Amino acid sequence: MTSPSTPRRLGRLRQGGGVSDRTLALLLVLPTAVLLLAFSVYPFLQAARDSLYTIPVATREATWTGLDNYRELFRQESIRAAFGRTLIWTVSNVVVQTALGLAIALLLNARLRGQSIARGLVIFPYMVPAVVVAAVFRFTMNDITGIANYLWMKLPWVDEPIYFLSDPDIVLLVVTLVNCWKYTPFMVIVLLARLQTVPTELYEAARIDGAGARHLFWYVTLPWIMPVLLVALLLRTIWTANDFDVIYLLAFGGPLGATTTVPIEIRRLAFSQEDLGLASALAVVMALFVALASFVYLRLYHRSEAHLQ
Amino acid sequence: MGERVRSDEVRVQDLESPEAGESPAGRRGVRATASRTSRRRRPRLGLYALLALTIIATDAPLVWMFLSSLKPDTENAAYPPTILPKTVTLANYENLFQISQFGTYLRNSFLVASAATLVTIVVGLTAAYSLSRFRFWFLRGLGELSLFAYMIPPILILVPIARIITGLGLGNNLLALVILYSATLLPFALWVLRSYFNGIPLDLEHAAMIDGCTRFGAFYRVVVPQALPGIISTGIFTFNAAWSEYLFASTLMTSPSKTTLSPGLALLFDQTGVYSWGVLMAGSVLVTVPVILLFIVAQRQLVEGFGEGALKG
Repeated sequence: MTSPSTPRRLGRLRQGGGVSDRTLALLLVLPTAVLLLAFSVYPFLQAARDSLYTIPVATREATWTGLDNYRELFRQESIRAAFGRTLIWTVSNVVVQTALGLAIALLLNARLRGQSIARGLVIFPYMVPAVVVAAVFRFTMNDITGIANYLWMKLPWVDEPIYFLSDPDIVLLVVTLVNCWKYTPFMVIVLLARLQTVPTELYEAARIDGAGARHLFWYVTLPWIMPVLLVALLLRTIWTANDFDVIYLLAFGGPLGATTTVPIEIRRLAFSQEDLGLASALAVVMALFVALASFVYLRLYHRSEAHLQ
Repeated sequence: MGERVRSDEVRVQDLESPEAGESPAGRRGVRATASRTSRRRRPRLGLYALLALTIIATDAPLVWMFLSSLKPDTENAAYPPTILPKTVTLANYENLFQISQFGTYLRNSFLVASAATLVTIVVGLTAAYSLSRFRFWFLRGLGELSLFAYMIPPILILVPIARIITGLGLGNNLLALVILYSATLLPFALWVLRSYFNGIPLDLEHAAMIDGCTRFGAFYRVVVPQALPGIISTGIFTFNAAWSEYLFASTLMTSPSKTTLSPGLALLFDQTGVYSWGVLMAGSVLVTVPVILLFIVAQRQLVEGFGEGALKG
């Protein structure tokens, strides 16, 4: 691992061109800086500004209303409910994906035959576009002709079909499972990459000390993958909380709002209710969570790096 | 980078148990007692069963998608359902191109994804090189800026983005998507490419420059070829993300002639139902096939590059 604090100047070997290191460094990053400022930072500042105004769509004439939109966020029942659903959705997704992802990564690392093909087959869903995921699972789980219900009804003790996507009581669970199908491979990829770097000496030392398989896992494997696991967990938390495509295209926020998480509520406020100010306030609150998480991410990353050196 | 080790070298099981057909007797003496080996053979079968189960759970839906795309709609609605198609037909694929402008969607997505990939790679390469080779305050700032951009979810900035794009006169113009995808995918490209550049010794560049290369020559002839695996994995990741993107494309592209694949496919179903499951599955197959091909071509680079890049600042 390269230490980020090593100076890496090419300075003295500079030839021709007549451009200083500083100018060259600046020129090289300029297009990136412009793109990021224009399409990430600026829009974000715009959203922050909008959140302090009430903006009727008809006239587009913004009226300063201070923190009214933020107060409204906590007042509206539908928004509070969206926060609750986001919490359930995020926690259940991350827990299932982490547990399954770790188990599958260990399985793929267990030196079985044909494991490189198996690896490809297992991580492939991560590459499947969200809209295809939605289409395929809407098909397999549709109420009338879906294969999922056909197989379910085949079970000897079952006599009621499941209305996977139209029963508001279970739809969030169903959508969660589908989302896990698509995103567990992310965990598998990063954990498997890490598992393959566990130093042999660690295992040898532990085995000489008489450690069994369970001990090896708890005292050697798990500590070694922990930094990566934590960071991957955090990334998945942020992305899941803000995920839009899979959940929206599978259930469109319904039935009866049962899958309306915060991102879908933002879209509803902005495009159906046409309350840009309120939608922006909600976006800003979510962004604050992201910023907080990013801060933790940076800390975790630096600590894990320091830990390894 | 130094700790990245070839997958074959370091394995838990390597130390624990001999492989079933691989001269177990020879290894047993060194590594495990006889009772241990016989106890382990059965768990190993269990592992294979688990692996098979995992593969079925992950890939059965995709196999089902493919099989259903070949069945006539009467068969897709039949009870009990058939597993393999009784009648194999391409009617769903023909229908798809008749009832929707799927050819246009394919073309649009291909153009946008290719252009966005090209821009991301070129812009990302130069910036990652600068981040890796120089230390200035503004580079540090850019590093943190790109982390922020990597984390900020598109839905949170969708409304202002729509306004900016309209303001630039790029509403309903594919160029808008190229710019947006490049901007949103750049942070990832930066992470991966910078970590590759950090692993390339400065001496290589110095040597090339002493031999008379300009700095650009050294970059182009020495650094870029060394970072090729990273460039490939970034390129594929970018292409796939742009090929699949839904939110920006569905909001910003309003006419059918500018629609890309994800919103185009989503037009084939809505809350209430679907025109034809067979046609929807045919469309899904066509959207997925290019992704499968890319994945097969570069699985290894992709997995390694991704494992590195996703987590390393």
